Amino acid sequence: MGDAAAVRFPCGPIPARAGIGLRSMHHDAVVEALPPVGWLEVHTENYFHDGGPHLRALERARERYPISLHGVGLGLGSVAPLDRAHLERVKRAVRRFEPALVSEHACWGRTADEHFNDLLPLPYTEEAVEHLAGRVREVQDVLGRQILIENLSSYFAYSASRLTEWDFLAAVVERSGCALLLDINNLYVNAVNLGLDARRFIASVPRAAVQEIHLAGHRRNRVGARDLLIDDHGSAVCQEVWALYEFAIARLGAVPTLIEWDTDVPALDVLLAEALEADRRRKRILELAA
Amino acid sequence: MNSPPDPVPLAELQSRFAAALRAAGVESGKAVAALADCIVDDGLAPVSRVQVYRNNARATFEGALERTYPVLRQRLGAERFRSLSQAYRAEHPSRSGDLHWVGAALPSWLEARVAGGPEAWLADLARLEWACEAALVAGRQPPLAAQALAGVPPDELAETGLALQPCVRTVSSAHPVWSAWRQGQTAASQEPSDPPLGPQHVVVACPDDGLVLHSIPEEQFRFVVALQNGVPLAAALACAGIEADRLPGLLAWLFAEGLVTALRAPAADRVSEGPL
Repeated sequence: MGDAAAVRFPCGPIPARAGIGLRSMHHDAVVEALPPVGWLEVHTENYFHDGGPHLRALERARERYPISLHGVGLGLGSVAPLDRAHLERVKRAVRRFEPALVSEHACWGRTADEHFNDLLPLPYTEEAVEHLAGRVREVQDVLGRQILIENLSSYFAYSASRLTEWDFLAAVVERSGCALLLDINNLYVNAVNLGLDARRFIASVPRAAVQEIHLAGHRRNRVGARDLLIDDHGSAVCQEVWALYEFAIARLGAVPTLIEWDTDVPALDVLLAEALEADRRRKRILELAA
Repeated sequence: MNSPPDPVPLAELQSRFAAALRAAGVESGKAVAALADCIVDDGLAPVSRVQVYRNNARATFEGALERTYPVLRQRLGAERFRSLSQAYRAEHPSRSGDLHWVGAALPSWLEARVAGGPEAWLADLARLEWACEAALVAGRQPPLAAQALAGVPPDELAETGLALQPCVRTVSSAHPVWSAWRQGQTAASQEPSDPPLGPQHVVVACPDDGLVLHSIPEEQFRFVVALQNGVPLAAALACAGIEADRLPGLLAWLFAEGLVTALRAPAADRVSEGPL
């Protein structure tokens, strides 16, 4: 692996417009109404099984939309050995649904005897770069395709870190040949929680590597005299994140953009309105740039 | 100027992080502090930051159990269910990146705690909810039409077996768990009441449009279980204590519900999807 140009999309690439995260409560509405949205993304682990209504609903949706499989369970940066059984299930889902994009996270999440089912942060060190890049290469070898790695939201920074987050991700991209999924909400969450310079991050990541953008909402908690943002994907995209999105589009150009909404999921129309807003802003920025 | 100390190795960081997420009671303060030592202190206490991850771990696990056991949660109430989730997690932590499976051991775990008491039936309710969860994600094959039986020579019918849908699950209880489950589907906003006494035997399946639960007489249930175990029709009737003259009605029900996928030829493991 390592050659992005070698990646083949069985049904063409994800269009560079807005898509929505497909959650089970919207299966029927999507396959029956076929809303005018560019593409769909699902959590890979929700479609690991042998059958059932959810699997069949996604098969029906897949007939009409390009899809992206977004994994949350591999815990790629874990020191514990890669969960080969989990990876085989990812591979089976990839074969079944022929997604245009397959993504995971720049995180760890498991030990040899427990899975925390969370996206836990890695320190930005040379050791972690080498470890994560090696795991990404293993996954790409098994899947026979390039994957995207998403930047995390974090609630703390390790004192062990020696690299910036963007240099860390750029090094992983360079050593593994993976692409990036840029989560703008995560950048904003980290800006508030950790003082990350989100615009510098966007300006510094390898532009050609960014193949997808995520937009989502977060919850604002007050801890003492400080705000701590919780990345719960449970509300609309806030104005600060929209502004960062416009900044990202101005630098990166048209990139497929997903509206993620995973808790307190609203009516489908609300998600579609957010996707329309993303499309409107993207067009406006690209017109201005032209 | 001093250079920064060598970074803590990745394995050590993850070990401390894992301990901080797992620890409970008096151990938790020490484990959280060990991780907090590795965190940048920028004015917001590192311990508070670690606590976010501890809360996430607890809530994620509890949320997964809640999605699998909504009626059990309704029966126990939010607080008791949360306590149950924490106690269960301590003994059965998640071992998979697929959260679907975290509740697999809950029915037997719960049974050991409520056996012999007034809430013994809750373990069977959990067993039924897990059967629903398993049926929902199991494979499903094209149902076999009842006409396939017409091709079976009369003298071979007794030794013929039926292959049932992979999604079929069976739960037998000395308690009315099907009634409790049904009540849980329709009365989520009402105060749950104790179901009437009496055993119930349930066959769970998942056709294309969602779950179907059949509460059936005990002998019919035993017949289905025998078929599921590969027992031929005559022997399955004998296992269930059912007279042969009831076979047509039982077969009609199985085929009408789409539960049969193939006929098993007598005295062979061969499976035929058409007339024998």
